[in-house]
Amino acid sequence: MDEETKPVDTETIAEMLKGKKARMKRYLSHCVHCSLCAESCFLYMAHDKDPQYMPSYKVIQSLGRLYKKRGKVDRRFLMEIKGIVWNHCVLCGRCYCPIGVHVPSMIAFARSICRSQGVYPDTEEGRVESWL
Amino acid sequence: MVELIEGPLVWIALLIFVLGLLFEGRQFLGMTRKKVWVYPPLPSSPKKEEQGWDRWIRSCFASLRGTLWRTDPVIMVGTTVFHICVVATPLFLLGHNLLLQQAIGVSLGSLPEVITDGLALIVLIGVVFFAGRRLLVRRVRAITTGYDYMMLGIVAAPFATGFFAYHQIFDYRTIMILHLLSGEVLLIALPFTKLAHMLFFFLYRFLIGSEYSFTRGTRTW
Repeated sequence: MDEETKPVDTETIAEMLKGKKARMKRYLSHCVHCSLCAESCFLYMAHDKDPQYMPSYKVIQSLGRLYKKRGKVDRRFLMEIKGIVWNHCVLCGRCYCPIGVHVPSMIAFARSICRSQGVYPDTEEGRVESWL
Repeated sequence: MVELIEGPLVWIALLIFVLGLLFEGRQFLGMTRKKVWVYPPLPSSPKKEEQGWDRWIRSCFASLRGTLWRTDPVIMVGTTVFHICVVATPLFLLGHNLLLQQAIGVSLGSLPEVITDGLALIVLIGVVFFAGRRLLVRRVRAITTGYDYMMLGIVAAPFATGFFAYHQIFDYRTIMILHLLSGEVLLIALPFTKLAHMLFFFLYRFLIGSEYSFTRGTRTW
């Protein structure tokens, strides 16, 4: 079956989201969208301060959207998220939130959700890809 | 309707505010557990050396290196002043304290009206500054939604109406009703929206022993 059209087990995703809802939804709702986390991310700095690499942007566009859609997503959506949580973040844990929102745990959780559906970068992809 | 806004709704809003914060805080604490130190933290100040004031001040500035105070000093000064004014203005306003004295017989100390008037003005300038930042700065615009502007509006409304009422701009009675209503909306919204960072900033930064903590933290989240 084509990689793009493989079905997605939305129930599993919804279950996973529900399991960490109390904590993750809190983090998401307490993010005040101040963007002060931006400069703590070396990828943001290395990409000419492209907002797409801001830690807050990454969690809002990945986990935030997953929660907004309550897990009812298709494979295309997960492939989109894959780019954010793997290519735009290396989980170095150096991002800093003035409020105290823990960004790496949210990105790691979004990765787990993608991985549960077989969405992750393969080794070939990893070899040709450059983060910087 | 006006009677409701001027009377019971004030108490209902206050009750929702207090109970909401208690509920949210309790639920948060319920999800944490006492921190077990695998490696006990090093003592924070092992040796106190004799230092002059100049050295102490220099070390204070040196400790800011790499923090937001160095990378974004304008925002940090702006946001600190803004937040102090947001909290201090309603608490130490003479009019509020007189009403509190009448209602329950106790009140906080009041600042001179000219000072609180200035503080309210600083809050309003702060709101314009943050709204401008959302509109003009690329990285903030990228994550800004209508909800962010709505929250800024909810915060600004009681201060704007209070300022207008104090200076008797527009119809006083209408402005006072709007002031009460907007204050009630703010109190109700506080525990359940992103404004809850009023409480969670302290919980995250002082209680949780993670890398974001200002202190060692005593709990694991």
